[in-house]
Amino acid sequence: RSREQTSSASSLLRLLLKTPIYCRHQVLRIKTKNEQEVKQLQLLESLEHLELDFWINPSAPALPVDVRIPAASVQSVKAFLESQGIEYSILIEDLQDILDKEKQEMDENAQRQRSSTFDFGAYHTLDDINAELDHLASEYSFVEKIQIGQSYEKRPLYVLKFSTGGSNRPAIWLDAGIHSREWVTQASALWIANKIASDYGTDASITSLLNKMDLFLLPVSNPDGFVYTHTSNRMWRKTRSKIPGSICVGVDPNRNWDAGFGGPGASNNPCSDSYHGPSANSEVEVKSVVDFIKNHGNFKAFLTLHSYSQLLMYPYGYKCTRPDDYAELESLGRAAASSIRSLYGTTFQVGTICKTIYQASGGSIDWSYDNGIKYSFAFELRDTGRYGFLLPASQIVPTAEETWLGLKKIMEHVRDKSS
Amino acid sequence: SPAMELPPGHLPAARAAAVAVGYLRYLRGGPARGLELRELRRARRQDIDDVGHKYCLELELEDVLDKDSTVTCTAEVLYHLGSKSSAPDVQVTVQGELRSTEEADKEFYHRIRSLEKELVAENIPDSHGNVPPELEPIHLLAWAASGYITWQNSTENTKLHLAQVKHVRQVKRSDEDLQFDFVVLLHEMVSQEVLPWEVTVLWHPQHGARVSQCHAVGAGR
Repeated sequence: RSREQTSSASSLLRLLLKTPIYCRHQVLRIKTKNEQEVKQLQLLESLEHLELDFWINPSAPALPVDVRIPAASVQSVKAFLESQGIEYSILIEDLQDILDKEKQEMDENAQRQRSSTFDFGAYHTLDDINAELDHLASEYSFVEKIQIGQSYEKRPLYVLKFSTGGSNRPAIWLDAGIHSREWVTQASALWIANKIASDYGTDASITSLLNKMDLFLLPVSNPDGFVYTHTSNRMWRKTRSKIPGSICVGVDPNRNWDAGFGGPGASNNPCSDSYHGPSANSEVEVKSVVDFIKNHGNFKAFLTLHSYSQLLMYPYGYKCTRPDDYAELESLGRAAASSIRSLYGTTFQVGTICKTIYQASGGSIDWSYDNGIKYSFAFELRDTGRYGFLLPASQIVPTAEETWLGLKKIMEHVRDKSS
Repeated sequence: SPAMELPPGHLPAARAAAVAVGYLRYLRGGPARGLELRELRRARRQDIDDVGHKYCLELELEDVLDKDSTVTCTAEVLYHLGSKSSAPDVQVTVQGELRSTEEADKEFYHRIRSLEKELVAENIPDSHGNVPPELEPIHLLAWAASGYITWQNSTENTKLHLAQVKHVRQVKRSDEDLQFDFVVLLHEMVSQEVLPWEVTVLWHPQHGARVSQCHAVGAGR
């Protein structure tokens, strides 16, 4: 048998038996000088009780002979060889060791394979996204996948926690996909998660950020809606909750927050795409985030991704007056938009929600701002309407890359202000 | 009352610009040209008693198939007072020349005319944003037609975009025009509704695109 066959056969055998059966087996390389020595080895070969496994059989003096020897026979074989003056060297001290290392390497390769096969430049199903979250959490010690609740249809709400230590450090919140049809946002969130995880330790900015603060990333805020966009209606926006007394389904989760709830810019018609819901936080997808952030108590920034329109907005949406921190937020927003533009020339308009897109009550960043999280921003990503929600997959990575620059600018400012 | 300067990034100006661009896209767009707003340079608004609100805009538009090809336009968009049924009046002046589409138009025209079976397609783009190359001209033609719908159906409180071509069916004609019956999904930004519209478009290389009929489908969900 060839060594490869033996090696893989033995690996398989070990896998089957789950016991280290090659413990202290040695592999010797024997150098024969003449025909006489070859004959001696052939004699050895015939002694079945020794259970010798010749990887290269004795055939001619010029050729080395490799043989695996079970632990029990090692001493006697070596004694025999020495008594005959036959030269040998130890190829493998302990075969089990080698096999263990090989398995570990194979496992690591398989895991690396799994990560390098996740195509960040493509749109994925919820299951594939969740699998990638698992992979990131397992590959990086400072990344943890936590569940903060479950959706109406009982799907887990998974958040990636990036934390290099400390205890309840000041934190940044980032979410995507609250409106399920805005596919570039979930996709960008995955790319951003991978970017942050893989650049920690090498990128100065990310490293200093995570050395001081924690980051919580919710890539799929509305998993029920997201699945529905895959299975039934690509243009679905809302949650999938049943509404008592209506044949229509779902609440606009970004009209459901307790900030000017029920005011202008939200509909009280359950069939509307901007239906605010029966009451603030009626949607479990919203309540889970609210509870998590309140219980944590130390969030300094709340950032949320939407598409499309290329806008970078801060509060308020429920009223058309400026927030107290208008000057700082406007200035930071412009700096972030400038960073975004620096990469591919993509221009974002900056302003309050009410002045930039529409008056809209019950929005998430209005809630976070009014609850003491000063750095509250909402992004509307690419494009400006040519493809709209159906942004070509080829634009996912460029969108994520430029968006990340804007987010980073904001996070760096938050980091500097929080220390 | 006197004209008021508006911040170009803010919504009243952006909505008026969308109407002007929709109008222009319809007028100058086609299977080989899609016009998109590159930049709203300047916007002013004038409230005219008993008439309505007039927006004066300076726009830079680009050809999506040739991003270096841009034109500057000045546009006036007049939203009539209190009228939901009357389309805004739009006047546009275009400075500069767009890249000629004569060759591509001829090619498209002959390709469609020589089809044995009438063209039928759906979901353009598909869920992943893909448009097969041979359907790109159909996509652009629908986009031009949606410019008409945008122009005709916009108010100061709406902003319409083509979300998707749900279905298209070519109808062979005895005259020289190509005819396409579309079902398009339009996304209205303020209400966030995505609503289906049926629109019939006639097109000819020399005569451009004409919407022969259009209406919203059904009464909603």
